[in-house]
Amino acid sequence: MFCFQCEQTDRTGQTPGCAGARGNCGKTPVTADLQDLLVHAVKGIAQYASRARVLGAGDDDAARFVLFSMFTTLTNVNFTPTRFVSLLREAEGVRNRVRERYEEAARARGLVPEALSGPATWSPEPDLDGMLRQAAEVGVRAGLDVVGPDVVGLRALCLYGLKGVCAYAHHATVLGLHDPKVYAEVEDLLSFLADNPTDPDQLLERALRVGMLNLDVMRLLDAANTGTFGSPQPTAVRTTPVAGKAILVSGHDLKDLAALLEQTAGTGINVYTHGEMLPAHGYPALRAHEHLVGNYGGAWHEQQVEFARFPGPILMTSNCIIEPHLSYRHRIFTTGPVGWPGVRHLTEDFRPVIQAAMAMPGFAETEEPERAITVGFARDAVLSVTDRIVDAVRQGAVRHFFLIGGCDGPTPGRNYFTDLALSAPQDSVILTLGCNKYRFNDHDFGSIGGIPRLLDLGQCNDTYSAITIALRLAKEFGCDVNELPLTLALSWMEQKAVAVLLSLLALGIRNIHLGPDLPGFLTPNLVARIVDEFGLRTVGDPAEDIATALGRR
Amino acid sequence: MTDTVARQTLSGSHPVTMTTADGEVLEIRCGSDQTVVDAAAAAGFSLPSLCHQGTCGSCRATVTSGDYQLGSHSPEALPPDRGRDVLLCRTVPCGPITVDLPYDHGRILMGGIPTHTATIADLRVVARETVRLDLQLDPDEDGTLGSQFDAGQFAQLEIPGRDVKRSYSLCNTGNWEGRLEFLIRLRAGGDFSSYLRDEARVGDRLVVHGPQGAFGLHETGLNPRWFVAGGTGLGPLLSMVRRMAEWQDPQPARLLLGVNEESDVLGRAELDEIRMLLPDFTYDISVWRPTSAWSGHVGTPLDLLRRDLPSTPVLPDLYVCGPPALIDSVIEIATTHGITEDHIFYERYLPN
Repeated sequence: MFCFQCEQTDRTGQTPGCAGARGNCGKTPVTADLQDLLVHAVKGIAQYASRARVLGAGDDDAARFVLFSMFTTLTNVNFTPTRFVSLLREAEGVRNRVRERYEEAARARGLVPEALSGPATWSPEPDLDGMLRQAAEVGVRAGLDVVGPDVVGLRALCLYGLKGVCAYAHHATVLGLHDPKVYAEVEDLLSFLADNPTDPDQLLERALRVGMLNLDVMRLLDAANTGTFGSPQPTAVRTTPVAGKAILVSGHDLKDLAALLEQTAGTGINVYTHGEMLPAHGYPALRAHEHLVGNYGGAWHEQQVEFARFPGPILMTSNCIIEPHLSYRHRIFTTGPVGWPGVRHLTEDFRPVIQAAMAMPGFAETEEPERAITVGFARDAVLSVTDRIVDAVRQGAVRHFFLIGGCDGPTPGRNYFTDLALSAPQDSVILTLGCNKYRFNDHDFGSIGGIPRLLDLGQCNDTYSAITIALRLAKEFGCDVNELPLTLALSWMEQKAVAVLLSLLALGIRNIHLGPDLPGFLTPNLVARIVDEFGLRTVGDPAEDIATALGRR
Repeated sequence: MTDTVARQTLSGSHPVTMTTADGEVLEIRCGSDQTVVDAAAAAGFSLPSLCHQGTCGSCRATVTSGDYQLGSHSPEALPPDRGRDVLLCRTVPCGPITVDLPYDHGRILMGGIPTHTATIADLRVVARETVRLDLQLDPDEDGTLGSQFDAGQFAQLEIPGRDVKRSYSLCNTGNWEGRLEFLIRLRAGGDFSSYLRDEARVGDRLVVHGPQGAFGLHETGLNPRWFVAGGTGLGPLLSMVRRMAEWQDPQPARLLLGVNEESDVLGRAELDEIRMLLPDFTYDISVWRPTSAWSGHVGTPLDLLRRDLPSTPVLPDLYVCGPPALIDSVIEIATTHGITEDHIFYERYLPN
């Protein structure tokens, strides 16, 4: 195996990358290799799909298969080799269907169908050993000796950004929002990568296209979430347990949470959110379920302790699963793209989860005193008080905004984001999104003129809210986003964050502090270029960065 | 019994580094007169093992480096000429050793083997000298009701107040109702068999130690899974195919059950039920000495293996449970037809 797609990749060797008996995420070499092969297979689908779509013969089902397949290869999503073997076989069938559609459409227009090469011609070997031999030829470093590490790094930047895009787009599609233009762009970009591009300028330009595509996708996802569940409203969320049977829901998928809430209605079971599911409480249609009683625990990397302690079953709805300990392996369930060998996978019917909850003790008593945190400051909630915010800035009550978002993780370097938030001056406002917020969201930041100093915009999936707010403030102040009194600190961990980073770069937003470490797939040459062209910054000393942001230096 | 000595000089305390099939590394120190199983127990975790006498084979592993002494053991539990395969309950290191464990980290019980109390919920004869025993577990101290185990595992059953403990494989699947089901061959003169035959009644209380054991399903892709059972060796394999049905596993599955006489046939209703739930599942029952009324396959599952393996497009993973002779024959036939040993998973049925 070789994998360097996430922030926690092994950095002990000469070049970053996990290549040992297991990845740092817990991925086995078999799973890692099958994921590489699945990426290869969907590139093959995209080669035909992009051409078919140009001829008016787009296959949206195939596009959704591509989104789902790519999502399964994100960090901490699916670790089950069998699932990948199934997907690989399905991929061949999808590719054949798309190829036929393309060839028929071409012939119908009097064109000679192109004879494609590369991933388009791939077929799975009949057994696992054969597939692993195939995978050895198509890893993310394929061609390294010929094209060099910079080109490999840029291809990885495009690919990993696309993985994030696909994950976000999948979240939107499960809520029924589809955009063939998004599918077309995903197919085009994957088809581009299938041709093993070697021009660094072209690769960087495509990486920014991935970023622009991600903006469209985030807008689509925002519309899907708010269209289905209403616009988030500021909501106090209980963080202490309530007596009674209990189910914990983690991950990002609001539709799965809604389905579970409906299936548990009237059972007496209380449902708690975990990790990135916390912002669900802000949505009116979800909050309407009285048995959605609160949030339990913190960010994803605490799950082995928190899940073991939780007195009920756990449903994992999207990324961020880590190896389930034996103590709770029988009561954790996966759904959607998620999977772990030996963990029961469910599709829409959550009766086994409910059965487990009924068989388990739940919380014996309600913890007192009750504690709570406030969520739900998405774009509508924040923009509804735009006038007050603008006035506060003009009057000097608010001197600066810090947008501290992204993923949390266990590495000490992430203390930067905690220190940045806690050291931010009292006349600043902190906007946050993603699970990085758990580092400081139990701190009482107070308020400025009725505006809370900490505004939780939502999941990482809600980046569109953050961008909308920034663009609106820039408009109000008649300036460029880069001229706003705004500092962006992005804590990245996996490929959704790569997509968000590319979106910010594509928007021309400069001086983003990215950390705790820069992506392992970016070579020193690439880092130098991105720093030079986009003003990307690493994370350093929080006090210095705050001082710089406030213009003291 | 055989007695293999890798090196005679034993002294001091030695590091033992064990790597599970899923890549977890465990390190313990093992005294100069201590077996690896005992040293692990002293360190607070139970490696899959049962008899602690070198007779059952459930603690089999492979020493990948270092010297050790392998104490007396049954050749049925560990056949001769098995290279550096060992029984950890009979293995005493002579220096630092490294060991590959053939099971995942999850099969190692941290903090010892759990003990529960249970009530006999049902007991009925299902074939000649064979009963199905259903137990209902009591809720745990914290109120949890459930019997969570992996398909293929076993539990030790104990009659309260008597020094009688016997191990039987579970034939149902993990559940949240506290149900445990066993298929048990009643052996002449066996203490637990005598209890089941003569005394046991619905409502009786038993003590359950477990679940335990390393036998179970393995993720190797979409290879077909063939299950080969001899008699009540069906139990753990029935659990596996039931789990496949419950989880809707995608692998094609086939079960080959061999019995001596028609009156020994068991599990047919359960297998028919699985066939309704798992479309790509078939089963064959072979009777070795049938009457003229038997219309099914005559012979043993080995005959079917020999007949069908050559024409199988994708070689299956094999899961086998039965007496040692059955296991050895399956391995021989399978390897002859190109199935490598890492695709053969088995549990030897030995008296315990």
